[in-house]
Amino acid sequence: MAGKLSIIMFSGTADKFIPLGVLSQAAAAMGMEVNIFVTGFALLGFLKQPRPLPFPKEFESMAQALEEGMKNNNVAAWSDMVRQAKALGAHVYACSMMCGVMGLKKEDFSDLVDDIVGAATFLQKSEGGQTLFI
Amino acid sequence: MAKKVIDSRGSACPGPITDLALAYRNASIGDEIELWSTDPGVKEDAKAWAQRTGNVIESITELPDKIVVLIKIVKK
Repeated sequence: MAGKLSIIMFSGTADKFIPLGVLSQAAAAMGMEVNIFVTGFALLGFLKQPRPLPFPKEFESMAQALEEGMKNNNVAAWSDMVRQAKALGAHVYACSMMCGVMGLKKEDFSDLVDDIVGAATFLQKSEGGQTLFI
Repeated sequence: MAKKVIDSRGSACPGPITDLALAYRNASIGDEIELWSTDPGVKEDAKAWAQRTGNVIESITELPDKIVVLIKIVKK
């Protein structure tokens, strides 16, 4: 494996899920080991029945134009990008503490989530690579 | 020694590099991959991919309707 990228996905707004998809898919395509640790309100995007992700208030008026622009440029949905990253070897972990707080179990998540793990496990997996907090 | 054309025209970043990575999986040493893209980022991205995976960019050609990147697979 040529390098390693770990992403802590914390934000629960739609705009932040775009770089999650792009960077995880690109890193996996580069042959890098990719680990995504999902916590906070970002967990809501990974549910089996996800609610539509909100836009941050200050950019709400631009949400429609952004969605149209992405469609016109054939930008894939973030979930498809993460799925492609996983097909290339990426892993997605949900934060055990926040799952407990929000009353979420493994079966509540879509097939994108591989496992529920603790912070120590993620720190161990991300050691020696690049880590991003989104 | 096969040559495969990958048509990623119309696909936005990181689509073309992903298509390249998928073709690389099935390629053998000595093969060539010709990647077609309309994403302007592909020129530098393909170089970065080649550097990361240890393969060789033989040429990058900008045509009116596409960018053509020719990659030689020398490492798996």
